[in-house]
Amino acid sequence: MTARTGLLCLLLLLASCAVGYRIAPAGEPLQVGNSNLVVTAPNAWNRAGTLTGPGKNAELWTLDGPRLNEITFYGGIADGETLFRETDRRERPLPRFRAAMLPPEIAALFESSYRVASGTALFAMGAMAPADFAGQQGFRFDYDYTLRGEEIRREGRATGAVIDGRLYMITFEAPEIHYFENGLADYEAIVTSARIAPDS
Amino acid sequence: MIRQAIGAAVALALLATPAGAQTVSGYQPQDEDERGLWMVMDEYERQLQRSNFVIRDPGLNAYVNEVFCRIAGDQCEDIRIYIVRTPYFNASMAPNGVMEIWSGLFLRVRNEAQLAAVLGHEFTHYRNRHSLQMFRTVRDRTNVMSFLGIGLFVAGGGLLATAGQLAMISSLFSYTREMEREADTESVRLLVDAGYDPMAASRIWAQIRDERDARAEDRGHDGRGEDAIFGTHPLSEDRMVDLRMLAEAAGEGGERYRDRYTLMLAPHWQAIVDDQINLNDYGATRHLLDALAADGWTAELRYAEAELMRRRGETGDFNAATRSYEAALLMRPDMAEAWRGLGYALLRLDRQEEGRTALRQYLALRPDAEDAAMVAMLAGVTS
Repeated sequence: MTARTGLLCLLLLLASCAVGYRIAPAGEPLQVGNSNLVVTAPNAWNRAGTLTGPGKNAELWTLDGPRLNEITFYGGIADGETLFRETDRRERPLPRFRAAMLPPEIAALFESSYRVASGTALFAMGAMAPADFAGQQGFRFDYDYTLRGEEIRREGRATGAVIDGRLYMITFEAPEIHYFENGLADYEAIVTSARIAPDS
Repeated sequence: MIRQAIGAAVALALLATPAGAQTVSGYQPQDEDERGLWMVMDEYERQLQRSNFVIRDPGLNAYVNEVFCRIAGDQCEDIRIYIVRTPYFNASMAPNGVMEIWSGLFLRVRNEAQLAAVLGHEFTHYRNRHSLQMFRTVRDRTNVMSFLGIGLFVAGGGLLATAGQLAMISSLFSYTREMEREADTESVRLLVDAGYDPMAASRIWAQIRDERDARAEDRGHDGRGEDAIFGTHPLSEDRMVDLRMLAEAAGEGGERYRDRYTLMLAPHWQAIVDDQINLNDYGATRHLLDALAADGWTAELRYAEAELMRRRGETGDFNAATRSYEAALLMRPDMAEAWRGLGYALLRLDRQEEGRTALRQYLALRPDAEDAAMVAMLAGVTS
């Protein structure tokens, strides 16, 4: 094997880690979202590679495929950062997280980010309430949205908290028919298991 | 997490936008090319008929159709107008008679005459069969099946229209300058014939250009590039001058019907403004609100202004938002959302007691609100 093919193999191996899926085994604490957010899943899920996630501190899990059920971990979004990777900063800049934001403002940031990124206007906020997250007082909100050209209504739930000035949040979303109800128990168990690992 | 898919809606409109004999009432496609184009767009229309994004409110649809029929005369029956919930300025015309209007247009059109100007412009693309002409030009350059394939793919949904795809579709469907000039000229004539103010055509396009400039200034760039996406209607200075000269030649007079327009849009106002505020586009939104407030600030406009300031949240914005919420509440003390927004702004200014008082006003007006538990916590209400 030449040095060149060796390098190619190495690159392919790295690429498969970045874009492929790995198993997130049940009952094992896992660090998610390139961060100190640690969760334990009640059942095995599929973890998407880092390039498939929506942003640099975000990680995506799915059971049956990302359009059928997806859990997204936002692992400590810092003040001034966006929730997702910005694809068109010039024409469609995303709103930025601020550490001083109130929970309803974080929900509004989330809604606006979804609307700008997807171009949809069919996005609605549902119930919003205080909730504990990783041992801190945080928030929970429900939402639903539909994308043009796809026309499938998705329901979503977000739970999170601002901890040491950073936004930690876990969302679950799935088509309202079957998949949302079906995945909710796993999501709630994962949220309950969430903790922030001490800095190493 | 969602995929970044804004292009889908834009691409759909671009496909639909872009036929030389004029069509007449009851027109049917004449040859293989034209029948093929109609077939693709008929499939698109079937999808549109099922779309959750189509605004089906009978009042608004009846009004838009009435305005259209005033300018289109006996060809009015050949066009089916779909109002689509998308917060950008666009109207597009497909060769089979499907006209799509995005809800964001209603925020930018200031009176009935301006609405008629846009409808007249798009109708001219249909009547003069501009999309068929464009199709034949394109076909000489590329493969017919891939052309139709793009149409089906774009209309098919569930897609990630990339910038590259968009640019390609955009270049396929942009009209020639001559076609745009023809649509402009005809729109002014249609306005005059229907008794509308002919100046409406130059005004609407000038307003769109001003908005684009306001957005670009706020974002610190020159505003070019936007035409690459919304490029079906280039906003050049030449075009404004031509439109103004055409209107001046047509003479004074004509109706604008501003009050009637405002009245018909009133039930949809809140949703359309909310959609705009959620776009994270301070410069353009500020520009639009100021223009809408030219005849005076209503409680709803003050509320929209307050939300815009609070959402931006830069230095001084929470103070400015507080003043606008208070101005809205002076006019409409029962405006629950204004109390809530005021409460949030005051909390961000560290005026805790006043903030909690405002949030309790919201809870008193909306005890069953979906966010009541969250607002109660922030208001220091213990259950």
